[in-house]
Amino acid sequence: MLTGQAVARVHLLRAGNGSLAAVIARAEDRDTIVVAGAVREGPITIDRSLCLLGLPGAEIDGGGVGDVLVITAPDVTVQGFTFRGARFSNLYDNAAVKVNGSERPVIRANRFIGCFFAIYLSDVRGAVVEGNSVEGLPDEKDRMGNGIHLWKCGRATIRRNLVRDHRDGIYFEFVTDSRIEDNLTQGNVRYGLHFMFSHRDSYERNVFVDNGAGVAVMFSHHIGMRRNRFLHNRGGSAYGLLLKEINDGEITDNTFTDNTTGLMVDGCNRIKAEGNTFRTNGWALRLFANATACTFSGNSFQGNTFDVTTNGDLKLNTIEANYWDRHIGYDLDRDGHGDVPHRPVGFFALLVERVPYAIVFSRSLFVALLDRAERVLPSLSPADLKDDRPLMRPPHG
Amino acid sequence: MDSVVFSGVGKRYRSLWALRDVHATFRRGEVVMVIGPNGSGKTTLIKCLLGLVRPTTGSIRVEGQVIGPDPGYRRSIGYMPQISQFPPSLTIGQLLDMMRDVRGLSPASADDGLVEELGLAAQLDKRLGALSGGTRQKVSAVLAFRSRPRILVMDEPTAGLDPVSARTVLDRAAALRSDGGTVLITSHLMEEVEALADRIAYLQEGHLRFLLPLSDVLRRTGADRLALALPKLLADPV
Amino acid sequence: MGKVLYYTLVDLARNRSVVAFTALILAVAEGLFLVEADPVKALLSLVQVMLALVPLVSLILTVVHTYDTHEFTQLLAVQPIGRRAILGGRIGAMALALLVALLFGLGLPLTVHAPGSTSMVLLVAVVLLAWVHAALGTLIALVHRDKARGVGVALVAWAGFVLLYDALLMALLFAFSDRPIEPLVLPIAALNPIDLARIAIMIRVDLAAMMGYSGAVYQQMLGSGPGTAVALGLMIAWIAWPTLMAFRVFRRKDL
Repeated sequence: MLTGQAVARVHLLRAGNGSLAAVIARAEDRDTIVVAGAVREGPITIDRSLCLLGLPGAEIDGGGVGDVLVITAPDVTVQGFTFRGARFSNLYDNAAVKVNGSERPVIRANRFIGCFFAIYLSDVRGAVVEGNSVEGLPDEKDRMGNGIHLWKCGRATIRRNLVRDHRDGIYFEFVTDSRIEDNLTQGNVRYGLHFMFSHRDSYERNVFVDNGAGVAVMFSHHIGMRRNRFLHNRGGSAYGLLLKEINDGEITDNTFTDNTTGLMVDGCNRIKAEGNTFRTNGWALRLFANATACTFSGNSFQGNTFDVTTNGDLKLNTIEANYWDRHIGYDLDRDGHGDVPHRPVGFFALLVERVPYAIVFSRSLFVALLDRAERVLPSLSPADLKDDRPLMRPPHG
Repeated sequence: MDSVVFSGVGKRYRSLWALRDVHATFRRGEVVMVIGPNGSGKTTLIKCLLGLVRPTTGSIRVEGQVIGPDPGYRRSIGYMPQISQFPPSLTIGQLLDMMRDVRGLSPASADDGLVEELGLAAQLDKRLGALSGGTRQKVSAVLAFRSRPRILVMDEPTAGLDPVSARTVLDRAAALRSDGGTVLITSHLMEEVEALADRIAYLQEGHLRFLLPLSDVLRRTGADRLALALPKLLADPV
Repeated sequence: MGKVLYYTLVDLARNRSVVAFTALILAVAEGLFLVEADPVKALLSLVQVMLALVPLVSLILTVVHTYDTHEFTQLLAVQPIGRRAILGGRIGAMALALLVALLFGLGLPLTVHAPGSTSMVLLVAVVLLAWVHAALGTLIALVHRDKARGVGVALVAWAGFVLLYDALLMALLFAFSDRPIEPLVLPIAALNPIDLARIAIMIRVDLAAMMGYSGAVYQQMLGSGPGTAVALGLMIAWIAWPTLMAFRVFRRKDL
């Protein structure tokens, strides 16, 4: 055995020929363990910097006792496995891969089937979670934990994962300077993505479909949200995207389609929303009057039941140069902007805000006439809530 | 033989009695001309017989049977309305076919002689909406005679018809009388019909003032024409 | 009855108003799909337009047709056939004419531009609405002798269904907004055939999600077999009662 610089070794474990725990115990930092076949063993702890590779068909089944794989060492890579056997518990957050107080773990190209929590990172810096497929049990959604769960982490990258049929698809709490990119979360009971007290993060090009309550971003600042798609998140209190107590957020080029509420903004400051498309949502944008210094421009509102609703006036915010398919106007000077202001809050929207059940009258002729009258002779809608330079064409063609 | 018997027939429209307690008997083989001023109840009388209007009081017998909701009795009645507004998009031929179907006539048993006589044969493909008033009246006449009725009701039969056609139609009515039919005619143009009439029924304000042979009417008033007789009758009711 | 139906239908097939109605529906539907690139949005606009237009035109068409054919009805009534057969034939013919007009005018554009279950529901709902209003129109025309009056009553009836009913119900909803009358609103709204049709369509498009929990319940109700059956039953009741009333009135009517 050489001292000083260790030589990385490769260990091969065929399932049935000895235990994985034993192989780990024999291995040293920077060794690689290659696993073939189905290992039924757990919980297993990785306490040194190893690379764990699964050959095609490799499986680790924890058998339902606590976590399956617990990583405590830095620089551990886990790749190519199918994980099972992290059971539901009322007391413990049993996870398939749990990383505690570590740095730079890489969890890549694994499959998680029916795990209570799939990937659970706690107090971790520089994690990379990519290319995993996290599949909960569609028939036991009530007993699922979060798919990818991060608590008190920094500089994490969550990329190209699929998370479905869990409670929250991706959960962030006290996570900073991280990126969430190109993920797909679908059919999760609560939020596709759930953000709490997490700052300077960005998420881009993700798709959030059919989640119980959509995506919630709360109590955070400096969040960048770009080119995501929020689709078909429907239900009594479902949103495409819920922003609560967010400061300095940037929402750019996202698409909100077929959601009960596309974007809900509650208690936010200095949000900039540009180039987003809202299509066929119930409420495209619900803006609470406690918002300040928020800017909405270059967005496109098409086919929504309500484009904008609010519960007060929005003096301190700017809504300008958006495309509204309801706008009836003209552009005599041909600068691309309508010559009369557009008031996006209709009479009916205000009624429904007061008596939600009035929604039964949606798209009745009576309501259409009321709305038309209100737009011509505004008497009820907030005076300051108007777009003075409405676009004549959708910004994205 | 009695063909149509009105027994105490009255008709009230809301508060207005259009017809009051009419007793009248119409026999086989006679032509009765029903006359009277506008609003005297002529039309209501006819409508009661045709089943268009339900009498408020009294009853009507047709060939011995009291008429009710059963439409069967109308098999023996032909009706020539005054200027009918026919379905405009049907052709004359289609209308004739339809009415024949409705009456359950076979093509053979229908009397289509009038089609030729009134010069309609060449116009069977014409749409009813495009016809002149006179031609429509000819169509009405054809419909009335077609089912070889034993009772014929004609409402202003000569209105709108050219003299030749009017003659043709009245000749037909006369022929029907000869065959033992009963003909009821309302008309304002008395001279034309007068020659045909056996009896005159005179209605006024819903009352049947008289139902007398034409000769009686003329004799009593000493007039030689009905038109002259009428004012005298009104001055000195029978 | 069959003969009256057949020949009335032959007449209606060339009736200028029926042809114009078909053309109007076709033009509106095609126009909306052409102007609006997004078929979903076009469909939504179409719902709004058709639910107002079709009842109005069906009402007026039937009322006017009933008056215009009064003399012909008289001529039929002096023939040895019963009143029931006459009215049955006429109503049947009008119903068939409207059906064909809508299948062609609305069904065709829907099939071409927006095939799917929502379009199907729209088409079925609109046809049923047309029948409801044809029955109402017949009844109105039979009850009122005067044409102008009949048309006036028809217009008022239409305004009632399409505007006043909603306005009143909404006023009620606001007046009692502090009471738990919410569960009553949808059933009461559904008593109006136009509202029923609209809700049956919108529940599939955007209503359910927006009504929260009860919306989901209603969606289950109206979107399910029994719910659809109830909705259809209500529609059929709306066709049946004016029709039966019309037969009653016509049986004893002085023509």
